[in-house]
Amino acid sequence: MKLYSKKSKNIGEEYIAVTQKNKRFIINNPFSEEPKINNKKADIKIFESEEGFTYLVWKNKKYLAEIIEKNQNKYTVLLNGVSYSFSIESPISYKRKKYLEKHKTKSKTEIIIAPMPGKILELLVEENAEIKEGEPIIILEAMKMQNEINSHVSGRITKILVKQNDSVAKNEVLLEIEK
Amino acid sequence: MKIKSLLIANRGEIAVRIVHTAKKMGIKTYGIKTAKEPNALYLQLVTNVCDYSEIVGEIPEFLDIEKLINIAKSNKIDAIHPGYGFLAESPYFAKRCEEEGIAYIGPSASAIYKMGNKTIAKQLATQHKVPLLKGSIGNVRSIKQAKEISKKIGYPVILKAAAGGGGRGMRIVEKESKIEKMFKIASSEAEKAFNDSSLFIEKYVSNPKHIEFQILADKHGNYIHLGERECSIQRKHQKLIEEAPSSALDEKLRKDMGDAAIRIAKSVDYCNAGTVEFLLDGRGNYYFMEMNTRIQVEHPVTEMVTGIDIIEQQIKIEQGEKLPFKQKDIKLNGWAIEFRINAEDVQAGFSPNLGTIEKIYYPKGKNIRIDSGVMDSSVVTPYYDSMIAKLIVYSETREKTITASISALKKFWIRGIKTTIPFCIEVLCNKKFRKGEFNTSFIEQDMKKLYYQGPDDEMLAAYVAAFDFAAELETDRSTYVNFEQGKNISPWVLNKRLRSF
Repeated sequence: MKLYSKKSKNIGEEYIAVTQKNKRFIINNPFSEEPKINNKKADIKIFESEEGFTYLVWKNKKYLAEIIEKNQNKYTVLLNGVSYSFSIESPISYKRKKYLEKHKTKSKTEIIIAPMPGKILELLVEENAEIKEGEPIIILEAMKMQNEINSHVSGRITKILVKQNDSVAKNEVLLEIEK
Repeated sequence: MKIKSLLIANRGEIAVRIVHTAKKMGIKTYGIKTAKEPNALYLQLVTNVCDYSEIVGEIPEFLDIEKLINIAKSNKIDAIHPGYGFLAESPYFAKRCEEEGIAYIGPSASAIYKMGNKTIAKQLATQHKVPLLKGSIGNVRSIKQAKEISKKIGYPVILKAAAGGGGRGMRIVEKESKIEKMFKIASSEAEKAFNDSSLFIEKYVSNPKHIEFQILADKHGNYIHLGERECSIQRKHQKLIEEAPSSALDEKLRKDMGDAAIRIAKSVDYCNAGTVEFLLDGRGNYYFMEMNTRIQVEHPVTEMVTGIDIIEQQIKIEQGEKLPFKQKDIKLNGWAIEFRINAEDVQAGFSPNLGTIEKIYYPKGKNIRIDSGVMDSSVVTPYYDSMIAKLIVYSETREKTITASISALKKFWIRGIKTTIPFCIEVLCNKKFRKGEFNTSFIEQDMKKLYYQGPDDEMLAAYVAAFDFAAELETDRSTYVNFEQGKNISPWVLNKRLRSF
């Protein structure tokens, strides 16, 4: 077991981890001996186990940690098996992000995505059809189970991007609905 | 006949489990290497590997009866163990083994057929005075007929595939307006899964417990049961957590249900290990559901509380040995809970989480049993079901087993994929579960959240992200060569660099 000491010249740095629900964690000097989270001292230590796992020790408890996705400042971290997504902002970039969000126009088009990888068994709707929230759209077969995919909005189907017997990946866009 | 060699017509943890007992008994084992999983763990443990990874047949390896028979004959293998799933409940497979003089570790083809056909099984239950739910007599041919029957027995009803199991081809219908759609879905699912689209209808008992009895029967007419298992923690009829015994049964009910289970087994001259499944309502009424004519995923909890190796008994029964114990010798000691560790993303509605298990580390302890089908760098493929391992925890009382289980689950570390571990911990923390007040609707009705999160977890995750982000900035800024840098580098930066070589 080996402790990775955290020495840095970048003392005085502040990062803001923003969750998808816009919850903020202000983290000062994370890469230092004395990090602070939301203005409180946070004595978190990072270790690597002999077996090659990375874990944190916080208040005498171990927490398994893994970065599962990373794209510039967008992170998804798996902590004790549960994933958390953040964007890491500096105080300046955070201000800009807030400004942009305020001025963003709301899109009228909603998309339906595949919640899991699988095969399209049946398309229950056609283009231009009106659909109500909760109505079934597609039957997707995954791991030998048939799953009904329902619409989360009411509206008109403007585009269907898949056809019967197509194999789809997780998060693949299946169709577009105009609210 | 003494069995000296055994072909395991299965994969994953159950193949590993069977090898374990076969080795103990001095039996040579044969495993099948497939192109879908050429580096699977079980292949490292069997005595001989039959390599079929080059041949891509039309029928998947573990479902190809003639190929399996061929492997057994050309290698002069004495017996075949089907495990669970695949061909485990195929009467035709059992019959073909019998015809070719290969010992099939399981019941006779006729017992598999009768119990596999839900309509015949229900008729047998009626004849032997085992309580049943009201439902259709025989299969339902049309939507019109389905509507008539459902009206008679009253909604909610459940549509089930006559040849079914494992939750496939099964749909609950709350009201008449939904029956047409559900009938279509269930019959097409049944057709795909079992090659038989026939359905039957039953009254749906809401919020029952799922209680099943483990049966052992030898070739000399001795029948015993090894007590019950409670498998009420289910999602879409797929079991996730099982325990033995059940807090819902007292000695009298255990004896009644156990006797009923034995009557079912006797009605088909059952021989070998089998499981009789019941629904138990809140008033102590029980109803026969089905008999599974094979070893079950959750058999370890029974092994933990009875001390009996069920796979060993299966092989000995097939060898013609008498059961070494009588019903009065069977005592249930302590409490065991099994957790299915599935490669599923609980946060995304339990969707399959495919990928490579980079690292896996098991909790250790004398009352902890791990039945695993994977190892470091195993790949979770879309071809098979998502269960990668089972954790079984044992202690003297249910309460102690729950406490020990939480600690074991927290020490069960996996890197590379998401699993059902956070779900299992959340169930164990639930007050109703702890009191034993739960039924098959537990997940939908009693769980506010489907996965466990500690109070500081989100904050710690935020720290990890910020730490890595800062570490990366740090690396970008350093322009001078620092020979000691490796010592101080963050594990994530290090990992990233190692990968880039």
